[in-house]
Amino acid sequence: MDVRIAEMAKDRKRRRESEESEIRRSQSHWRTEREQKLYSSKLLEALRRVRGAESPATTRSRAVREAADRALAVAARGRTRWSRAILSSRAILLKARTRRPSNPDRVKRTGPAGPVFQKARVLGRLVPGCRSLSFSKLLEEASDYIAALEMQVRTMSVLTEMLAAPAPS
Amino acid sequence: MSSRRSRSRQQTSSASRITEDQINDLVSKLQTLLPEAHIRSGDRVSAARVLQETCNYIRNLHREVDDLSERLSELLSTTDMSSAQAAIIRSLLM
Repeated sequence: MDVRIAEMAKDRKRRRESEESEIRRSQSHWRTEREQKLYSSKLLEALRRVRGAESPATTRSRAVREAADRALAVAARGRTRWSRAILSSRAILLKARTRRPSNPDRVKRTGPAGPVFQKARVLGRLVPGCRSLSFSKLLEEASDYIAALEMQVRTMSVLTEMLAAPAPS
Repeated sequence: MSSRRSRSRQQTSSASRITEDQINDLVSKLQTLLPEAHIRSGDRVSAARVLQETCNYIRNLHREVDDLSERLSELLSTTDMSSAQAAIIRSLLM
């Protein structure tokens, strides 16, 4: 019994370590055909649900965007911060998001100074859930996020083409 | 117990101070992901520039997804989903 538990712990550790190293080279997994096909089918399911709900054009387009983002986050399988942030936030594209309270005393709330870190902060606001990450973690997340977004664009483009001109059955 | 505490203190102090070399290394890796039209890898590009281009690229990708979402939502209302879906599913399985 103890041996089995120890083995399970070892397996978990091995899996976690391999997942962590996979994040580091994660860009490649977003480029596989398998991933794109998986995403296509998940997206299609989500789109059917969106279609079912009657709604005006503007909110339907936003519903499509949110469904696409949520499906993308699911495809990441919980390995990245940006994907977990998307899944835990209810309304990603809420335009009427309240602004953070201003800083009247102009106390410096941000980290290191300089143009590089300034740009990094902007980047942190663009990648979901990554506002307060360290520089290296942020770049790691941004790399994975970019690869995922590119797959999202590829897949949605293909889906759009197919829906626009369906093959004769 | 005290050794664990001092070890963790060492770790945080080294992790909070990132070196310029580390920055450049990470940024050059990021540069390889950007579309070549923006930055030719032969040129010496500043880290700030690469980060700026990264932000631009992500914004562009977001915009593309928005446009595609709008197009898809239009198609969803006009397309006969069942035959189109069958075609898509067939192609997905191949």
